[in-house]
Amino acid sequence: MFRGAFTIWGRDMRVLRRSLFSELLAVIAYPLTLYLAFGVGLKGYIADVDGIPYSLFIAPGLISMTAVSAAFEESAWSMWFHRRVQRTIEEYRVNPISVYDIVIGKIVSGFSQGAIKGMAVAGVIFLVTPFRFPLEHFLVYLYFIAFGSMVFSCCGTVCGTVIDKPENIGRVQGVVIVPLIFLSGIFFPLSSYPGSVLPFVRMIPTTAIFEGARLALLRGVMEPEYSIILAVTAAVSFGLAVWIFNRKIEE
Amino acid sequence: MRTALSIQSITKVYDGLRAVDSLSMEVRAGTIFGLLGPNGAGKTTLIKILTTLMRPTSGDALVEGHSVLTEGTAVRRIIGVVPQENNLDRYLTARENLVLHARMHRMRRREFTPRIDELLELIGLSGRQHDFPDTFSGGMQRRLVVARSLVHTPRVLFLDEPTAGLDPQSRRALWEYIQSLRSKMTIFLTTHYMEEAEELCDRIVIMDHGASLADGTATELKDAFAHSHLYELEFRANTDRYEGVLRSLPCIESLERKGNVFRLSLPAEEHLKPLMDAIGSADIKRICLEEPSLEEVFIQLTGRKVRE
Ligand SMILES: Nc1ncnc2c1ncn2[C@@H]1O[C@H](COP(=O)(O)OP(=O)(O)O)[C@@H](O)[C@H]1O
Ligand SMILES: [Mg+2]
Repeated sequence: MFRGAFTIWGRDMRVLRRSLFSELLAVIAYPLTLYLAFGVGLKGYIADVDGIPYSLFIAPGLISMTAVSAAFEESAWSMWFHRRVQRTIEEYRVNPISVYDIVIGKIVSGFSQGAIKGMAVAGVIFLVTPFRFPLEHFLVYLYFIAFGSMVFSCCGTVCGTVIDKPENIGRVQGVVIVPLIFLSGIFFPLSSYPGSVLPFVRMIPTTAIFEGARLALLRGVMEPEYSIILAVTAAVSFGLAVWIFNRKIEE
Repeated sequence: MRTALSIQSITKVYDGLRAVDSLSMEVRAGTIFGLLGPNGAGKTTLIKILTTLMRPTSGDALVEGHSVLTEGTAVRRIIGVVPQENNLDRYLTARENLVLHARMHRMRRREFTPRIDELLELIGLSGRQHDFPDTFSGGMQRRLVVARSLVHTPRVLFLDEPTAGLDPQSRRALWEYIQSLRSKMTIFLTTHYMEEAEELCDRIVIMDHGASLADGTATELKDAFAHSHLYELEFRANTDRYEGVLRSLPCIESLERKGNVFRLSLPAEEHLKPLMDAIGSADIKRICLEEPSLEEVFIQLTGRKVRE
Protein backbone atom coordinates (compact mmCIF):
# COMPACT_ATOMS: atom_id res chain seq x y z
CA MET A 1 0.00 0.00 0.00
CA PHE A 2 1.33 3.43 -1.03
CA ARG A 3 4.69 2.10 -2.12
CA GLY A 4 4.45 4.48 -5.04
CA ALA A 5 3.98 7.40 -2.63
CA PHE A 6 7.04 6.22 -0.73
CA THR A 7 9.05 6.06 -3.98
CA ILE A 8 8.08 9.61 -4.95
CA TRP A 9 8.82 10.90 -1.47
CA GLY A 10 12.18 9.13 -1.65
CA ARG A 11 12.95 10.92 -4.89
CA ASP A 12 12.15 14.31 -3.34
CA MET A 13 14.27 13.63 -0.28
CA ARG A 14 17.20 12.51 -2.44
CA VAL A 15 17.01 15.79 -4.36
CA LEU A 16 16.68 17.79 -1.13
CA ARG A 17 19.72 16.04 0.35
CA ARG A 18 21.88 17.25 -2.54
CA SER A 19 21.24 20.88 -1.76
CA LEU A 20 20.42 20.61 1.93
CA PHE A 21 23.14 22.95 3.14
CA SER A 22 22.30 25.86 0.84
CA GLU A 23 18.56 25.32 1.38
CA LEU A 24 18.96 25.48 5.13
CA LEU A 25 21.17 28.52 4.94
CA ALA A 26 18.56 30.31 2.86
CA VAL A 27 15.69 29.26 5.06
CA ILE A 28 17.37 30.23 8.34
CA ALA A 29 18.38 33.71 7.18
CA TYR A 30 14.84 35.14 7.15
CA PRO A 31 13.52 34.14 10.58
CA LEU A 32 16.90 34.91 12.10
CA THR A 33 16.75 38.41 10.64
CA LEU A 34 13.26 38.88 12.05
CA TYR A 35 14.44 37.59 15.39
CA LEU A 36 17.38 39.98 15.50
CA ALA A 37 15.33 42.95 14.26
CA PHE A 38 12.30 42.51 16.50
CA GLY A 39 13.45 40.33 19.35
CA VAL A 40 16.82 41.98 19.94
CA GLY A 41 16.41 45.33 18.18
CA LEU A 42 13.18 46.25 19.94
CA LYS A 43 14.13 44.72 23.25
CA GLY A 44 14.37 48.02 25.06
CA TYR A 45 11.05 49.28 23.71
CA ILE A 46 8.71 46.38 24.24
CA ALA A 47 8.03 45.24 27.73
CA ASP A 48 7.18 41.64 28.52
CA VAL A 49 4.12 40.24 26.74
CA ASP A 50 1.84 38.38 29.15
CA GLY A 51 4.81 38.07 31.47
CA ILE A 52 7.11 36.62 28.85
CA PRO A 53 10.15 38.49 27.44
CA TYR A 54 9.32 39.66 23.89
CA SER A 55 12.20 37.86 22.21
CA LEU A 56 11.02 34.64 23.80
CA PHE A 57 7.42 35.45 22.90
CA ILE A 58 8.18 35.58 19.16
CA ALA A 59 10.58 32.60 18.99
CA PRO A 60 7.98 29.79 18.69
CA GLY A 61 6.12 31.72 15.98
CA LEU A 62 9.27 32.14 13.93
CA ILE A 63 9.88 28.41 14.00
CA SER A 64 6.27 27.60 13.08
CA MET A 65 6.29 30.24 10.38
CA THR A 66 9.38 28.71 8.78
CA ALA A 67 7.90 25.24 8.91
CA VAL A 68 4.51 26.06 7.40
CA SER A 69 5.84 28.45 4.74
CA ALA A 70 8.41 25.89 3.67
CA ALA A 71 5.69 23.22 3.49
CA PHE A 72 3.43 25.46 1.39
CA GLU A 73 6.20 26.62 -0.87
CA GLU A 74 7.63 23.18 -1.52
CA SER A 75 4.25 21.63 -2.24
CA ALA A 76 2.96 24.41 -4.46
CA TRP A 77 6.09 24.95 -6.54
CA SER A 78 7.07 21.33 -6.75
CA MET A 79 3.62 20.26 -7.91
CA TRP A 80 3.50 23.09 -10.43
CA PHE A 81 7.03 22.34 -11.67
CA HIS A 82 6.47 18.61 -12.05
CA ARG A 83 3.10 19.15 -13.69
CA ARG A 84 3.77 22.09 -16.00
CA VAL A 85 7.52 22.37 -16.57
CA GLN A 86 9.12 18.96 -16.31
CA ARG A 87 5.87 17.08 -16.91
CA THR A 88 7.21 14.32 -14.69
CA ILE A 89 3.70 13.86 -13.26
CA GLU A 90 2.82 12.45 -16.67
CA GLU A 91 5.69 10.00 -16.41
CA TYR A 92 4.57 8.97 -12.92
CA ARG A 93 1.06 8.44 -14.25
CA VAL A 94 2.02 5.90 -16.93
CA ASN A 95 3.56 3.69 -14.24
CA PRO A 96 1.55 1.17 -12.24
CA ILE A 97 0.97 3.46 -9.27
CA SER A 98 -2.24 5.26 -8.40
CA VAL A 99 -3.09 8.94 -8.48
CA TYR A 100 -3.27 8.73 -4.68
CA ASP A 101 0.35 7.58 -4.55
CA ILE A 102 1.40 10.69 -6.44
CA VAL A 103 -0.55 13.27 -4.45
CA ILE A 104 0.19 11.67 -1.09
CA GLY A 105 3.88 11.37 -1.95
CA LYS A 106 3.99 15.07 -2.83
CA ILE A 107 2.06 16.14 0.28
CA VAL A 108 4.38 14.16 2.53
CA SER A 109 7.39 15.68 0.76
CA GLY A 110 6.11 19.19 1.47
CA PHE A 111 5.41 18.21 5.04
CA SER A 112 8.91 16.79 5.42
CA GLN A 113 10.52 19.95 4.07
CA GLY A 114 8.49 22.01 6.52
CA ALA A 115 9.44 19.80 9.44
CA ILE A 116 13.14 19.69 8.54
CA LYS A 117 13.41 23.44 8.00
CA GLY A 118 11.39 24.25 11.11
CA MET A 119 13.72 22.07 13.16
CA ALA A 120 16.76 23.78 11.64
CA VAL A 121 15.45 27.18 12.70
CA ALA A 122 14.59 25.81 16.14
CA GLY A 123 18.17 24.58 16.44
CA VAL A 124 19.62 27.96 15.51
CA ILE A 125 17.31 29.89 17.86
CA PHE A 126 18.26 27.44 20.56
CA LEU A 127 21.94 28.17 19.89
CA VAL A 128 21.72 31.95 19.77
CA THR A 129 19.33 32.48 22.70
CA PRO A 130 19.62 31.64 26.37
CA PHE A 131 16.06 30.25 26.54
CA ARG A 132 15.61 26.59 27.35
CA PHE A 133 12.43 24.54 27.14
CA PRO A 134 11.58 21.30 28.91
CA LEU A 135 11.43 18.32 26.53
CA GLU A 136 7.72 17.69 27.24
CA HIS A 137 6.90 21.20 25.99
CA PHE A 138 8.79 20.49 22.84
CA LEU A 139 6.90 17.25 22.18
CA VAL A 140 3.53 19.02 22.47
CA TYR A 141 4.92 21.74 20.23
CA LEU A 142 5.80 19.11 17.60
CA TYR A 143 2.11 18.21 17.40
CA PHE A 144 1.32 21.74 16.22
CA ILE A 145 4.26 21.98 13.84
CA ALA A 146 3.42 18.61 12.30
CA PHE A 147 -0.26 19.32 11.74
CA GLY A 148 0.46 22.89 10.68
CA SER A 149 2.95 21.72 8.05
CA MET A 150 0.43 19.15 6.91
CA VAL A 151 -2.30 21.78 6.43
CA PHE A 152 0.00 24.11 4.53
CA SER A 153 1.44 21.29 2.45
CA CYS A 154 -2.09 20.33 1.39
CA CYS A 155 -2.96 23.97 0.56
CA GLY A 156 0.24 24.22 -1.46
CA THR A 157 -0.60 21.03 -3.31
CA VAL A 158 -4.02 22.42 -4.21
CA CYS A 159 -2.44 25.66 -5.50
CA GLY A 160 0.20 23.80 -7.50
CA THR A 161 -2.51 21.58 -8.96
CA VAL A 162 -5.10 24.15 -10.04
CA ILE A 163 -2.90 27.17 -10.84
CA ASP A 164 -1.15 27.09 -14.20
CA LYS A 165 0.60 30.46 -14.20
CA PRO A 166 3.54 30.75 -11.81
CA GLU A 167 2.88 34.43 -11.03
CA ASN A 168 -0.50 33.44 -9.62
CA ILE A 169 1.11 31.09 -7.14
CA GLY A 170 3.25 34.01 -6.03
CA ARG A 171 0.10 36.12 -5.63
CA VAL A 172 -1.63 33.52 -3.49
CA GLN A 173 1.46 33.46 -1.30
CA GLY A 174 1.51 37.22 -0.96
CA VAL A 175 -2.21 37.83 -0.55
CA VAL A 176 -3.39 34.79 1.41
CA ILE A 177 -0.56 32.88 3.02
CA VAL A 178 1.66 35.66 4.35
CA PRO A 179 -1.23 37.73 5.88
CA LEU A 180 -2.70 34.61 7.45
CA ILE A 181 0.62 33.82 9.05
CA PHE A 182 1.45 37.34 10.23
CA LEU A 183 -2.04 38.13 11.53
CA SER A 184 -2.15 34.98 13.63
CA GLY A 185 -0.13 36.63 16.35
CA ILE A 186 3.49 35.82 15.67
CA PHE A 187 4.58 39.28 16.76
CA PHE A 188 1.71 40.32 19.01
CA PRO A 189 -0.62 38.69 21.52
CA LEU A 190 -4.11 37.80 20.30
CA SER A 191 -5.47 40.00 23.10
CA SER A 192 -4.58 42.95 20.83
CA TYR A 193 -7.63 42.07 18.72
CA PRO A 194 -10.90 43.77 19.76
CA GLY A 195 -13.01 41.49 21.93
CA SER A 196 -15.75 41.32 19.29
CA VAL A 197 -13.57 39.71 16.60
CA LEU A 198 -11.43 37.60 18.90
CA PRO A 199 -13.72 34.52 18.90
CA PHE A 200 -13.54 34.46 15.10
CA VAL A 201 -9.79 34.94 15.03
CA ARG A 202 -9.47 32.02 17.42
CA MET A 203 -11.33 29.81 14.98
CA ILE A 204 -8.97 30.45 12.05
CA PRO A 205 -6.76 27.38 11.64
CA THR A 206 -3.58 29.45 11.38
CA THR A 207 -4.35 30.92 14.82
CA ALA A 208 -4.65 27.38 16.09
CA ILE A 209 -1.23 26.61 14.63
CA PHE A 210 0.64 29.65 15.92
CA GLU A 211 -1.09 30.35 19.19
CA GLY A 212 -1.36 26.64 19.97
CA ALA A 213 2.32 26.16 19.21
CA ARG A 214 3.34 29.08 21.41
CA LEU A 215 1.26 27.89 24.35
CA ALA A 216 2.75 24.45 23.88
CA LEU A 217 6.34 25.57 23.80
CA LEU A 218 6.21 28.22 26.48
CA ARG A 219 3.74 26.71 28.90
CA GLY A 220 3.58 23.05 27.91
CA VAL A 221 -0.21 23.16 27.53
CA MET A 222 -2.09 21.38 24.81
CA GLU A 223 -5.04 23.72 24.28
CA PRO A 224 -7.94 21.37 23.37
CA GLU A 225 -9.80 23.85 21.18
CA TYR A 226 -6.73 24.57 19.05
CA SER A 227 -5.63 20.97 18.76
CA ILE A 228 -9.08 19.87 17.59
CA ILE A 229 -9.44 22.70 15.07
CA LEU A 230 -6.01 21.86 13.72
CA ALA A 231 -6.58 18.11 13.46
CA VAL A 232 -9.92 18.64 11.70
CA THR A 233 -8.42 21.20 9.31
CA ALA A 234 -5.57 18.85 8.51
CA ALA A 235 -7.96 16.00 7.75
CA VAL A 236 -10.23 18.17 5.61
CA SER A 237 -7.42 19.81 3.67
CA PHE A 238 -5.79 16.44 3.05
CA GLY A 239 -9.04 15.01 1.69
CA LEU A 240 -9.60 18.11 -0.39
CA ALA A 241 -6.09 18.11 -1.84
CA VAL A 242 -6.32 14.45 -2.83
CA TRP A 243 -9.78 14.92 -4.33
CA ILE A 244 -8.86 18.06 -6.30
CA PHE A 245 -5.66 16.51 -7.65
CA ASN A 246 -7.55 13.41 -8.68
CA ARG A 247 -10.21 15.43 -10.52
CA LYS A 248 -7.86 17.83 -12.22
CA ILE A 249 -5.32 15.29 -13.39
CA GLU A 250 -7.84 12.90 -14.98
CA GLU A 251 -9.22 15.80 -17.11
CA MET B 1 -1.92 -13.88 -34.78
CA ARG B 2 -2.83 -12.45 -31.39
CA THR B 3 -4.33 -8.98 -31.01
CA ALA B 4 -2.28 -6.73 -28.71
CA LEU B 5 -4.35 -3.61 -28.96
CA SER B 6 -8.02 -3.27 -29.65
CA ILE B 7 -9.47 0.22 -30.05
CA GLN B 8 -13.25 0.23 -29.82
CA SER B 9 -15.00 3.31 -31.26
CA ILE B 10 -13.05 5.81 -29.18
CA THR B 11 -14.22 9.41 -29.24
CA LYS B 12 -12.60 12.34 -27.47
CA VAL B 13 -14.25 15.74 -27.51
CA TYR B 14 -12.44 18.83 -26.18
CA ASP B 15 -15.15 21.41 -25.59
CA GLY B 16 -16.76 21.08 -29.00
CA LEU B 17 -13.71 19.87 -30.94
CA ARG B 18 -13.77 16.18 -31.88
CA ALA B 19 -10.08 15.33 -31.57
CA VAL B 20 -10.75 11.59 -32.00
CA ASP B 21 -13.92 10.59 -33.78
CA SER B 22 -15.27 7.07 -33.08
CA LEU B 23 -12.03 5.41 -34.10
CA SER B 24 -11.79 1.61 -34.14
CA MET B 25 -8.88 -0.61 -35.05
CA GLU B 26 -6.86 -3.61 -33.95
CA VAL B 27 -3.10 -4.02 -33.78
CA ARG B 28 -1.46 -7.43 -33.91
CA ALA B 29 1.01 -8.51 -31.28
CA GLY B 30 4.68 -8.25 -32.19
CA THR B 31 4.25 -5.82 -35.07
CA ILE B 32 5.27 -2.20 -35.55
CA PHE B 33 2.21 -0.10 -36.17
CA GLY B 34 2.47 3.47 -37.46
CA LEU B 35 -0.09 6.19 -37.05
CA LEU B 36 0.54 8.88 -39.62
CA GLY B 37 -1.17 12.25 -39.63
CA PRO B 38 -0.59 16.01 -39.85
CA ASN B 39 -0.39 18.21 -36.74
CA GLY B 40 -3.67 18.24 -34.85
CA ALA B 41 -4.87 14.97 -36.40
CA GLY B 42 -5.46 13.52 -32.94
CA LYS B 43 -2.45 11.20 -32.64
CA THR B 44 -1.28 12.39 -29.23
CA THR B 45 -4.82 12.41 -27.90
CA LEU B 46 -5.23 8.78 -28.95
CA ILE B 47 -1.93 7.78 -27.33
CA LYS B 48 -2.91 9.57 -24.12
CA ILE B 49 -6.13 7.58 -24.03
CA LEU B 50 -4.37 4.29 -24.74
CA THR B 51 -1.82 4.93 -22.00
CA THR B 52 -4.53 5.83 -19.43
CA LEU B 53 -3.45 9.48 -19.18
CA MET B 54 -6.80 10.66 -20.45
CA ARG B 55 -10.33 9.30 -20.37
CA PRO B 56 -12.12 8.99 -23.71
CA THR B 57 -15.47 10.78 -24.01
CA SER B 58 -16.86 7.45 -25.16
CA GLY B 59 -15.57 4.06 -26.27
CA ASP B 60 -12.93 1.83 -24.75
CA ALA B 61 -9.65 0.19 -25.67
CA LEU B 62 -8.08 -3.08 -24.62
CA VAL B 63 -4.31 -3.33 -24.18
CA GLU B 64 -3.36 -7.00 -24.08
CA GLY B 65 -6.94 -7.64 -23.03
CA HIS B 66 -7.05 -5.02 -20.26
CA SER B 67 -9.51 -2.17 -20.48
CA VAL B 68 -7.98 1.31 -20.25
CA LEU B 69 -11.15 2.47 -18.49
CA THR B 70 -11.43 -0.09 -15.72
CA GLU B 71 -8.02 -1.79 -15.47
CA GLY B 72 -5.67 1.18 -15.60
CA THR B 73 -3.05 -0.28 -13.29
CA ALA B 74 -2.94 -3.57 -15.19
CA VAL B 75 -2.50 -1.64 -18.45
CA ARG B 76 0.26 0.56 -16.99
CA ARG B 77 2.15 -2.49 -15.77
CA ILE B 78 2.70 -3.75 -19.33
CA ILE B 79 3.13 -0.58 -21.38
CA GLY B 80 6.12 1.62 -22.06
CA VAL B 81 5.56 5.23 -23.08
CA VAL B 82 7.75 7.72 -24.94
CA PRO B 83 5.77 10.96 -24.90
CA GLN B 84 5.93 13.59 -27.63
CA GLU B 85 7.91 15.89 -25.35
CA ASN B 86 10.73 14.58 -23.17
CA ASN B 87 9.70 14.47 -19.53
CA LEU B 88 12.95 13.53 -17.85
CA ASP B 89 13.61 14.57 -14.27
CA ARG B 90 16.38 17.14 -14.58
CA TYR B 91 17.18 16.96 -10.88
CA LEU B 92 18.08 13.28 -11.20
CA THR B 93 21.02 11.82 -13.12
CA ALA B 94 20.42 9.68 -16.19
CA ARG B 95 20.78 6.53 -14.14
CA GLU B 96 18.60 7.80 -11.30
CA ASN B 97 15.86 8.54 -13.84
CA LEU B 98 15.89 4.88 -14.84
CA VAL B 99 16.07 3.66 -11.24
CA LEU B 100 13.07 5.78 -10.22
CA HIS B 101 11.11 4.26 -13.08
CA ALA B 102 12.14 0.74 -12.04
CA ARG B 103 11.06 1.41 -8.47
CA MET B 104 7.66 2.62 -9.58
CA HIS B 105 7.36 -0.72 -11.36
CA ARG B 106 8.26 -2.44 -8.09
CA MET B 107 11.41 -3.98 -9.49
CA ARG B 108 14.03 -5.16 -7.02
CA ARG B 109 17.53 -3.79 -7.07
CA ARG B 110 19.14 -7.03 -8.19
CA GLU B 111 16.59 -7.18 -10.97
CA PHE B 112 16.92 -3.60 -12.25
CA THR B 113 20.67 -3.04 -11.84
CA PRO B 114 21.75 -5.41 -14.65
CA ARG B 115 18.81 -4.31 -16.81
CA ILE B 116 19.72 -0.63 -16.47
CA ASP B 117 23.41 -1.36 -17.13
CA GLU B 118 22.42 -3.18 -20.29
CA LEU B 119 20.10 -0.41 -21.51
CA LEU B 120 22.64 2.35 -20.82
CA GLU B 121 25.19 0.36 -22.79
CA LEU B 122 22.77 -0.13 -25.68
CA ILE B 123 21.88 3.54 -26.01
CA GLY B 124 25.52 4.55 -25.59
CA LEU B 125 25.07 6.54 -22.38
CA SER B 126 27.06 4.36 -19.98
CA GLY B 127 29.81 6.94 -19.79
CA ARG B 128 27.34 9.75 -19.01
CA GLN B 129 25.04 7.87 -16.64
CA HIS B 130 25.91 10.04 -13.65
CA ASP B 131 25.30 13.31 -15.50
CA PHE B 132 22.09 15.30 -15.45
CA PRO B 133 19.87 15.14 -18.54
CA ASP B 134 19.94 18.88 -19.27
CA THR B 135 23.64 18.52 -20.14
CA PHE B 136 22.64 16.07 -22.92
CA SER B 137 21.99 16.73 -26.60
CA GLY B 138 18.45 16.30 -27.94
CA GLY B 139 19.30 12.89 -29.36
CA MET B 140 20.81 11.67 -26.09
CA GLN B 141 17.79 12.85 -24.10
CA ARG B 142 15.46 11.12 -26.50
CA ARG B 143 17.42 7.87 -26.26
CA LEU B 144 17.28 8.12 -22.49
CA VAL B 145 13.49 8.51 -22.59
CA VAL B 146 13.29 5.44 -24.82
CA ALA B 147 15.55 3.50 -22.45
CA ARG B 148 13.40 4.54 -19.51
CA SER B 149 10.29 3.21 -21.23
CA LEU B 150 12.00 -0.16 -21.62
CA VAL B 151 13.36 -0.71 -18.10
CA HIS B 152 10.46 -2.93 -17.09
CA THR B 153 10.40 -4.76 -20.47
CA PRO B 154 6.92 -3.66 -21.57
CA ARG B 155 4.78 -5.77 -23.88
CA VAL B 156 3.37 -2.78 -25.73
CA LEU B 157 5.54 0.27 -26.45
CA PHE B 158 3.99 3.63 -27.38
CA LEU B 159 6.23 6.14 -29.14
CA ASP B 160 4.77 9.59 -29.87
CA GLU B 161 6.86 11.16 -32.64
CA PRO B 162 10.03 9.47 -31.39
CA THR B 163 12.43 11.20 -33.77
CA ALA B 164 10.87 14.66 -34.10
CA GLY B 165 13.55 17.33 -34.09
CA LEU B 166 16.54 14.97 -34.29
CA ASP B 167 19.38 15.19 -36.79
CA PRO B 168 19.56 12.46 -39.48
CA GLN B 169 22.27 10.51 -37.63
CA SER B 170 20.36 10.40 -34.35
CA ARG B 171 17.20 9.55 -36.23
CA ARG B 172 18.80 6.59 -37.97
CA ALA B 173 20.36 5.36 -34.73
CA LEU B 174 16.96 5.44 -33.09
CA TRP B 175 15.36 3.66 -36.04
CA GLU B 176 17.93 0.89 -35.78
CA TYR B 177 17.20 0.60 -32.12
CA ILE B 178 13.44 0.42 -32.67
CA GLN B 179 14.02 -2.17 -35.40
CA SER B 180 15.95 -4.29 -32.91
CA LEU B 181 12.87 -4.40 -30.67
CA ARG B 182 10.71 -5.75 -33.48
CA SER B 183 8.85 -8.93 -32.53
CA LYS B 184 10.01 -8.65 -28.91
CA MET B 185 7.07 -6.37 -28.23
CA THR B 186 4.24 -4.61 -29.98
CA ILE B 187 5.19 -1.10 -31.03
CA PHE B 188 2.68 1.68 -31.65
CA LEU B 189 4.28 4.81 -33.01
CA THR B 190 3.07 8.10 -34.42
CA THR B 191 4.99 10.17 -36.88
CA HIS B 192 4.65 12.61 -39.71
CA TYR B 193 7.85 11.51 -41.36
CA MET B 194 7.05 9.32 -44.36
CA GLU B 195 10.48 7.67 -44.50
CA GLU B 196 10.09 6.73 -40.87
CA ALA B 197 6.76 5.04 -41.48
CA GLU B 198 8.06 3.27 -44.58
CA GLU B 199 11.28 2.18 -42.93
CA LEU B 200 9.81 0.87 -39.70
CA CYS B 201 6.14 0.05 -39.90
CA ASP B 202 4.53 -3.24 -40.80
CA ARG B 203 1.26 -1.43 -41.08
CA ILE B 204 0.31 2.21 -41.45
CA VAL B 205 -2.90 4.05 -40.69
CA ILE B 206 -3.22 7.58 -42.01
CA MET B 207 -5.50 9.66 -39.83
CA ASP B 208 -6.82 13.20 -39.88
CA HIS B 209 -9.48 15.05 -37.90
CA GLY B 210 -9.65 12.13 -35.50
CA ALA B 211 -10.63 9.54 -38.10
CA SER B 212 -8.78 6.87 -40.04
CA LEU B 213 -8.47 7.62 -43.75
CA ALA B 214 -6.42 4.68 -45.00
CA ASP B 215 -4.99 1.49 -43.61
CA GLY B 216 -2.39 -0.93 -44.99
CA THR B 217 1.30 -1.54 -45.65
CA ALA B 218 3.26 1.25 -47.31
CA THR B 219 3.10 -0.58 -50.64
CA GLU B 220 -0.64 -1.21 -50.37
CA LEU B 221 -1.32 2.43 -49.60
CA LYS B 222 0.72 3.58 -52.57
CA ASP B 223 -1.00 1.12 -54.90
CA ALA B 224 -4.44 2.04 -53.67
CA PHE B 225 -4.20 5.80 -53.42
CA ALA B 226 -1.56 7.01 -55.82
CA HIS B 227 -4.13 6.68 -58.66
CA SER B 228 -2.50 8.78 -61.27
CA HIS B 229 0.40 7.53 -63.30
CA LEU B 230 2.97 10.24 -63.58
CA TYR B 231 5.41 10.25 -66.47
CA GLU B 232 8.31 12.45 -67.37
CA LEU B 233 8.97 12.95 -71.03
CA GLU B 234 11.97 14.72 -72.53
CA PHE B 235 12.47 15.64 -76.21
CA ARG B 236 15.69 16.46 -78.03
CA ALA B 237 14.02 18.70 -80.64
CA ASN B 238 10.75 20.19 -81.89
CA THR B 239 9.46 20.50 -78.36
CA ASP B 240 6.91 23.20 -79.25
CA ARG B 241 5.35 21.03 -81.92
CA TYR B 242 5.07 18.09 -79.50
CA GLU B 243 3.44 20.33 -76.93
CA GLY B 244 0.65 20.99 -79.41
CA VAL B 245 0.22 17.28 -80.01
CA LEU B 246 0.18 16.47 -76.29
CA ARG B 247 -2.34 19.21 -75.53
CA SER B 248 -4.68 17.78 -78.13
CA LEU B 249 -4.70 14.29 -76.59
CA PRO B 250 -7.82 13.76 -74.46
CA CYS B 251 -6.29 10.98 -72.32
CA ILE B 252 -3.78 13.30 -70.64
CA GLU B 253 -5.10 14.48 -67.29
CA SER B 254 -2.52 17.13 -66.57
CA LEU B 255 0.47 18.52 -68.33
CA GLU B 256 3.33 20.73 -67.16
CA ARG B 257 6.24 21.91 -69.22
CA LYS B 258 9.71 22.94 -68.08
CA GLY B 259 12.05 23.61 -70.97
CA ASN B 260 12.21 20.41 -72.99
CA VAL B 261 10.73 18.30 -70.23
CA PHE B 262 7.04 17.51 -69.75
CA ARG B 263 5.39 16.08 -66.69
CA LEU B 264 2.10 14.45 -67.46
CA SER B 265 -0.34 12.17 -65.75
CA LEU B 266 -2.44 9.42 -67.30
CA PRO B 267 -5.50 7.83 -65.72
CA ALA B 268 -4.19 4.31 -66.44
CA GLU B 269 -1.35 2.44 -68.11
CA GLU B 270 -3.50 1.55 -71.16
CA HIS B 271 -3.27 5.14 -72.34
CA LEU B 272 0.47 4.94 -72.75
CA LYS B 273 0.32 3.19 -76.13
CA PRO B 274 -2.00 5.70 -77.88
CA LEU B 275 0.21 8.45 -76.49
CA MET B 276 3.34 6.89 -77.91
CA ASP B 277 1.62 6.30 -81.25
CA ALA B 278 0.68 9.97 -81.42
CA ILE B 279 4.16 11.38 -80.76
CA GLY B 280 6.28 8.66 -82.34
CA SER B 281 9.73 7.90 -81.04
CA ALA B 282 11.94 9.98 -83.34
CA ASP B 283 12.65 12.92 -81.02
CA ILE B 284 12.20 11.32 -77.62
CA LYS B 285 15.28 11.58 -75.44
CA ARG B 286 13.89 10.05 -72.27
CA ILE B 287 10.61 8.77 -70.84
CA CYS B 288 10.20 7.53 -67.31
CA LEU B 289 7.52 6.53 -64.82
CA GLU B 290 7.59 8.34 -61.49
CA GLU B 291 7.20 6.03 -58.50
CA PRO B 292 4.27 7.07 -56.34
CA SER B 293 5.46 8.06 -52.87
CA LEU B 294 3.84 7.70 -49.50
CA GLU B 295 4.09 11.46 -49.18
CA GLU B 296 1.94 11.84 -52.27
CA VAL B 297 -0.65 9.53 -50.74
CA PHE B 298 -0.49 11.47 -47.51
CA ILE B 299 -0.95 14.85 -49.17
CA GLN B 300 -3.71 13.53 -51.35
CA LEU B 301 -5.61 12.21 -48.31
CA THR B 302 -4.98 15.03 -45.88
CA GLY B 303 -4.80 18.02 -48.21
CA ARG B 304 -2.21 20.71 -48.79
CA LYS B 305 -3.38 23.23 -46.26
CA VAL B 306 -0.86 24.01 -43.51
CA ARG B 307 -1.98 23.08 -40.00
CA GLU B 308 -1.58 25.12 -36.85
N1 LIG C 1 -5.94 19.63 -23.78
C1 LIG C 1 -6.55 20.06 -24.90
N2 LIG C 1 -7.59 20.91 -24.84
C2 LIG C 1 -8.23 21.31 -25.97
N3 LIG C 1 -7.89 20.92 -27.20
C3 LIG C 1 -6.85 20.08 -27.34
C4 LIG C 1 -6.13 19.60 -26.19
N4 LIG C 1 -5.15 18.76 -26.63
C5 LIG C 1 -5.26 18.73 -27.97
N5 LIG C 1 -6.27 19.52 -28.40
C6 LIG C 1 -6.71 19.69 -29.80
O1 LIG C 1 -7.07 18.42 -30.29
C7 LIG C 1 -6.61 18.23 -31.63
C8 LIG C 1 -5.74 17.01 -31.70
O2 LIG C 1 -4.51 17.29 -31.03
P1 LIG C 1 -3.37 16.21 -30.87
O3 LIG C 1 -3.95 14.95 -30.38
O4 LIG C 1 -2.30 16.81 -30.06
O5 LIG C 1 -2.89 16.03 -32.38
P2 LIG C 1 -1.52 15.47 -32.97
O6 LIG C 1 -0.78 14.78 -31.88
O7 LIG C 1 -1.93 14.55 -34.06
O8 LIG C 1 -0.76 16.64 -33.51
C9 LIG C 1 -5.92 19.53 -32.02
O9 LIG C 1 -6.83 20.32 -32.74
C10 LIG C 1 -5.57 20.16 -30.70
O10 LIG C 1 -5.57 21.55 -30.83
MG1 LIG D 1 1.10 15.06 -31.20
